[in-house]
Amino acid sequence: MSSAETQRRLASWFRQWRSPLRKYLTGHGGLQGADLEDVAQEVFLRLLRYERAELVEHPQAYLYKMAANVAAEWAIRARSRLPHEAKWLTHLTTESRPDQDAERVEVQEQVGLALSGLSERQREIVRLHFAEGLGYAEIALRTGSTQRAVKRQLIRSYAKLRVTLDSELVGVLQHGRP
Amino acid sequence: MDARERRVIAAEGAAEWWVRLQDPKVSTSEREQFVDWLRESPVHVAEMLRVAQVHEALTDFRGWSKLPVSAEPRAPEISDDTVIALRSPTQPEAPRTTKTALLGWRVSLVAAAAIVAVVFSTTLFRQWRSWQTIETERGERREVSLGDGSVLQVGPETRLRVRFTDRQRNVYLDRGATLFRVAKNPRRPFVVETNHTLVRAVGTAFGVEQRGQEVVVTVAEGKVAVQDEETVAPAPSRATASRASPEIADLPRASGTPAESLILTAGQQVAVPGTGRMGAVRKVDSERELAWASGRLVFEHTSIDEVVQTFNRYNRLQLTVVDRVLGHREISGVFDASDPESFLAFLTSVTPVRVIRLNAGTVELMGADNTPESMTTDVAR
Repeated sequence: MSSAETQRRLASWFRQWRSPLRKYLTGHGGLQGADLEDVAQEVFLRLLRYERAELVEHPQAYLYKMAANVAAEWAIRARSRLPHEAKWLTHLTTESRPDQDAERVEVQEQVGLALSGLSERQREIVRLHFAEGLGYAEIALRTGSTQRAVKRQLIRSYAKLRVTLDSELVGVLQHGRP
Repeated sequence: MDARERRVIAAEGAAEWWVRLQDPKVSTSEREQFVDWLRESPVHVAEMLRVAQVHEALTDFRGWSKLPVSAEPRAPEISDDTVIALRSPTQPEAPRTTKTALLGWRVSLVAAAAIVAVVFSTTLFRQWRSWQTIETERGERREVSLGDGSVLQVGPETRLRVRFTDRQRNVYLDRGATLFRVAKNPRRPFVVETNHTLVRAVGTAFGVEQRGQEVVVTVAEGKVAVQDEETVAPAPSRATASRASPEIADLPRASGTPAESLILTAGQQVAVPGTGRMGAVRKVDSERELAWASGRLVFEHTSIDEVVQTFNRYNRLQLTVVDRVLGHREISGVFDASDPESFLAFLTSVTPVRVIRLNAGTVELMGADNTPESMTTDVAR
């Protein structure tokens, strides 16, 4: 399987997973107190029920499909329940709606801010990977480094961004809106 | 290890897996390692979903050209996690995590050293506070995965304390009910202790419930040894249960009490009263008996008073039966524990009852007229 195909398949898994989760989180009926952590709990239990050999074939596909299923099931179940606080994830939408444009600008700003918290080297590697679509080998060539070092920096960048995006975007989106 | 440290390690692990799995040449053994890692803790699953979010956010980001040339790095912040993934300082599984991490991190000795340092410092922390407490409130159910691979389904209003050593896995059930799915490890028995009962298991699934002074043990898979700490001599009524089989009888005792064990196998249940002898072993449908762990409530000729009390433990919505006659009436049915509305709907369909909604969180039930004493349904959802 080529790298491009892997990327394409990953992208399709996210869409499958993200859309129902978003529906679940933003819908007027999200379960109170339920969020990504609850989805993860349920996915975890489902993973335990599967045969290991079966999961090993396409572990990421299973993971994101299960998350999609759980989120979709809960969205249906929760339609008559209390509203849930929206999380930043819910605003990272690909389909643009006019009322969400302002929020999208805000999210963009937050991602920019989070990126500025990375080291210069990390930021450059992330930029080459996402903005220019370069693979690890190409980035290594471009930055005069090794593939391993590039991976290492990407891992650290993901981990750092996960932390800053989580705390900052939740704050902005929950308190910064009318 | 506290929640924050677990999160940091899980977040880094997830980021690492993300990058590794993007490689089209990812090997089968790597995928196996990934599956094992995922199945270690719900925190790992959550972090894997979060990395996907970060990836998504970066894919959608359009402001690359506006980024500063250099900036001050920020101190990371971690949100509190709601999952308690327990790890013992001395258990053999704990270093396994480190080893898995090390495999991936082997290119960077510095990073590896940092992780070892984190694990080491949390080990000291855990020794100082050797009991982990898991507590649920009214209306709350929680799944907890322990460091050894066991999974606990903790019912509402439950308090558990967990301590793992390299020789034994100990759990104290202070109150409430929990279903234990014990990861097999014959050299490290899993012992659940309540105020007066010991339950020992090797690798099995069983539920322990405190109902007032009584402790009810139900086995779904495998076998467990039940021991009443106050009753040394076994009750003669236990004829239906086999005597302790060697493999379980040889297990180390959780306490010094030289009491005889009662062996329960799959589909068996025993009630241990607060005082007096253990009850007789009952043959039960364990799936039905343990349905509470998966959020289903099964009632068979149960008084509406009792049904309402049970629902109230699982939900914020509180029901009150203000009519004694109605409260004593019996019903049967299977319900979703988190859905008292379906119970109310069922109730109004089988008996004339007035449902009075005092506010969003309180409902009063009152009989509308006289009806037969008992009603039954197979399934109500």
